[in-house]
Amino acid sequence: MQKSTIQFLLISFLTTLFLGSCATNNVVNGFEKVEIEKKIFINPYFSNPETDYVYKANIEVYGNQLSGIFIAKKINETTHRVVFTTEFGNKLLDFEISENDFKINSIVDELNRKILINTLKQDFRLLLRKDFLVDEQFAKTTSKVYKSKDGKNFNFLFISSIDDRLYKLTHCSKTKEKINISFTSENNIFAKRIIIQHNTIKLKIELNYLKNN
Amino acid sequence: MKIRKHLLLFFLSFNCILVLAQEQKMTDAEISTFKQSVSVVAKQTSTLRSDFIQYKHLDFLSKEIETSGQLFFKEPNTLKWQYKKPYNYSIIFKKGKILIDDEGKKSAVDIGNSKIFGKINKLIIGSVSGNMFDDKEFTISFFKTKTNNITRLLPKDAALKKYIKQIELTFDKDDATVIQVKLIESSNDFTKIVLKNKTLNAKIDDSVFTN
Repeated sequence: MQKSTIQFLLISFLTTLFLGSCATNNVVNGFEKVEIEKKIFINPYFSNPETDYVYKANIEVYGNQLSGIFIAKKINETTHRVVFTTEFGNKLLDFEISENDFKINSIVDELNRKILINTLKQDFRLLLRKDFLVDEQFAKTTSKVYKSKDGKNFNFLFISSIDDRLYKLTHCSKTKEKINISFTSENNIFAKRIIIQHNTIKLKIELNYLKNN
Repeated sequence: MKIRKHLLLFFLSFNCILVLAQEQKMTDAEISTFKQSVSVVAKQTSTLRSDFIQYKHLDFLSKEIETSGQLFFKEPNTLKWQYKKPYNYSIIFKKGKILIDDEGKKSAVDIGNSKIFGKINKLIIGSVSGNMFDDKEFTISFFKTKTNNITRLLPKDAALKKYIKQIELTFDKDDATVIQVKLIESSNDFTKIVLKNKTLNAKIDDSVFTN
């Protein structure tokens, strides 16, 4: 009896340990650890202060559909201005975001919820982030991955080896993948389509570039 | 250097005079005539169909965001905005409901649940028909230029005021219909909608207003 309890505990412990390191292992499954080729990865998307980044936004949150226009612009070395409007142009949310600061310029009452604001803050800080310190690097024939520490969490940046294009960003804790951001781009400086998929809450944000602008 | 500054000031003030000269306040008699002609046209309008171009101006952007499409209005209070460029999106205001078709994804919202949506709905329909000279809702001022009449409406309702500082409706002097709607936010960013190729009272099938 005691033996089986110990066995059970041991299995549980090993399972937890296995799960504990599972996020990293899963994320870079099929990749081989290689030597770091650069210390800093610069995110090229949203980095040009001359460009108005304007996207049609579709948000799926717990089965509800929302849509509007997402606008981002780099307003100085560290900060982006981000605005969400309806298709009519009514401003729903207007904020300024950098690595350390977050300032809301305006928000409609319906969206003024702490949990929503914090989620968007986390997502857009990740999306608009200028650079990532590379702690580890992984590779396979077609792509490479930079692993970067982010407080208690990690970011994995997937780069296509052929054209040096960032095509995926995975944000995870030690145990699970929290957010996946995928990028579709024709070149390596501008993302035409972006999908932000949450794994811990039912939230998906899809951004499609507006060609007119 | 000083001369240049003077010249600049001169040109700036000259510009101001020009702008002022272009736009004048209406007299009481003119206001009354104008209100009446708008009311007559609104009463006579059972349907309206028009192309539109929408310009979203945000001060921090280098370019305005341009979207365009068609709008359909049918008495009583049924309205459809159909964006065709750069995306397909339509929104129908009908019998207290909002029907949305977003690139084929369809949904419906009950306006009854949202006081502010109800007000915005009334405002949009009023803007298109031009019949929104409600002194209880707005503080209204009237101006004229050579070709247009302009009304500026300041919302009195606190909830609406939070989102919209001023609504500016520009009317064609000849036919007393709205040709431009400008919604100015408290931050001074604005949405400008220009209506073109208008057709009044042509038959519009009810199926246009279904999702």
